[in-house]
Amino acid sequence: MDIYAVRILKSQPLRLILTIGGVSLCVILMLFLLAVYQGVADGSVEYIRKNCVDLWVLQSNATNILRGSSLVSAPQEQSIRQIPGVKSVSLVLLVLSTVKKGDKARTIFLTGFDPKDGIGGPPQIIAGRSIQGDNEIVLDKSFASKFKFTLGDSVKIQEHMLKVVGISSGTNALVIQYAFVTLHFAQKLMGFPGIATCFLVQVKDINNIDEVANEIRNIVPGIEVYDHKTFLENNIQEMESGFLPLLYTVALIGAVVLTVILSLLLSVNILERKKDFAVLKTLGSPPGFLKRIIIVQALLISFTSSIVALIIFFPLVKVIERISPEVTTKLSVEQILAVISVVAAMSLISSFISMQKLRRIYLLEVFK
Amino acid sequence: MNSSIKKSRIVHLNRITKIYGTNEHKTIVLQQISFQFLTGELILLIGPSGSGKTTLLTLIAGLTKPTTGTVSLFERNIEHYTPMELQQLRAKRIGFIFQTFLLIDSLTAIENVEVVLRFIGKPKKDVHLRATQLLNRFHIEYLSRRFPPTMSQGEKQRVAVARAVANNADLILADEPTGSLESKQGFDIIRLLQTYAKEQNKCVIVASHDLRLVEYADQILRLEDGMLREMD
Repeated sequence: MDIYAVRILKSQPLRLILTIGGVSLCVILMLFLLAVYQGVADGSVEYIRKNCVDLWVLQSNATNILRGSSLVSAPQEQSIRQIPGVKSVSLVLLVLSTVKKGDKARTIFLTGFDPKDGIGGPPQIIAGRSIQGDNEIVLDKSFASKFKFTLGDSVKIQEHMLKVVGISSGTNALVIQYAFVTLHFAQKLMGFPGIATCFLVQVKDINNIDEVANEIRNIVPGIEVYDHKTFLENNIQEMESGFLPLLYTVALIGAVVLTVILSLLLSVNILERKKDFAVLKTLGSPPGFLKRIIIVQALLISFTSSIVALIIFFPLVKVIERISPEVTTKLSVEQILAVISVVAAMSLISSFISMQKLRRIYLLEVFK
Repeated sequence: MNSSIKKSRIVHLNRITKIYGTNEHKTIVLQQISFQFLTGELILLIGPSGSGKTTLLTLIAGLTKPTTGTVSLFERNIEHYTPMELQQLRAKRIGFIFQTFLLIDSLTAIENVEVVLRFIGKPKKDVHLRATQLLNRFHIEYLSRRFPPTMSQGEKQRVAVARAVANNADLILADEPTGSLESKQGFDIIRLLQTYAKEQNKCVIVASHDLRLVEYADQILRLEDGMLREMD
């Protein structure tokens, strides 16, 4: 009898509100983790995804650019250019550096690329334009927002002054953000002209990509060659290996807390209505009747809590992003549905845990 | 009641003994009790507090088992019923009235009656119709949407009777149904039960220590020191 389940819940409004509040917080936590994960996932690899070249060539033993070092050189570039199937070779140099504005110094992932061909540049410019010369820089949106850099500002890298000419998006990897300068400037910063992190190779005929890759491997010693898909996967895997364990742990804690809160409420409700339940049992309630009351309560709370969580979540995220711009979130409808499904599943587990209390309800209690 | 209506046996107690505890701590509550309960009768089970009246009711309802002897319910040894069959039996053929009525406080009067009808699997529409008819029959239709905490004892009593007979029970077990009522209300409930037994040819067993109820009973059984005695 669903109305009975509702009345039991409504009979203790404060307890109900506290429970919905607690479960909602757990739902918000799970949604937030998922949204941050998606934001980081996109921000970490969007640069690679958008620079869709045929082949990525790195130093031997390097599989990604997120958590690995790679150095390739000008002679290797020349060797690759001479391979008949190669259409173009672009150099990208990634350097961890410090950007200064006034007395503030912030670390950034400086990405040097050739602005003439644009390959290796920012995935998306959302304000201003891309760089044209050595004295210009494009900053990530979150980085610029957090440290209050705006278009036209001057930033200092070592002894060089660069003008902020553009703001990019899809370049926030949470712990570090990308900035874009010319390849020449990045090489100058490193003190090694002709050096790069990787080569971005375009082939003349996509059907020959494997042959070209093998040719590069044969001709140029000490390098690794990846097609775009494999290289993207490598980087995603690298990002996930660092982030997912943390995500899973916190999400698991959230789910456990949710289950505990719900189980407590349902168990207390059963104990408080021990006599009512004993009466119903004595009157001949079928085995599923009382269990259904518990399940309906659990699902009602989880559904209401999910709605409350969704109402709170989006404004809350806006506030968090305003306070900490490096936190970039992204959430799809599928992900929201997945969280709600998990919450529903946990609420069912809670109801099954609480149902054990039904076994301790004895029919003879009604005759006491 | 039409005298041509045939009485049939609902409950048969055969030399039942009920002992609680073991060895030196054991208490003999019921001792070698044999009796047959027939339809069309209101049987009053009287005796002082602790005489075993309630224990006897729980044995008849199949809620507990005798230490020795057999209880046959609807011509079948209660030991031979599965728990599921006993649950269905209580839902379909037995009605209960408890001392303090034990209505579900979170449900309205009509919902308290409907809940029993739901147990026997009646369609939702029929459930509501039957519950409404019952409230009308006991002149408590005005209580339909009210919750038990807002009702008087007399009103609760009538809702409890409506709930007990909702499934058209063949056997009504009433445990001290007048215990928390004033005299007039107490007599009212007994009259309702007596009418039900006679008109519907059902068996009503009332456990009470209220001797004023004897005039309504077809049979009076006195429980004393665990022994059952028939009274004239």
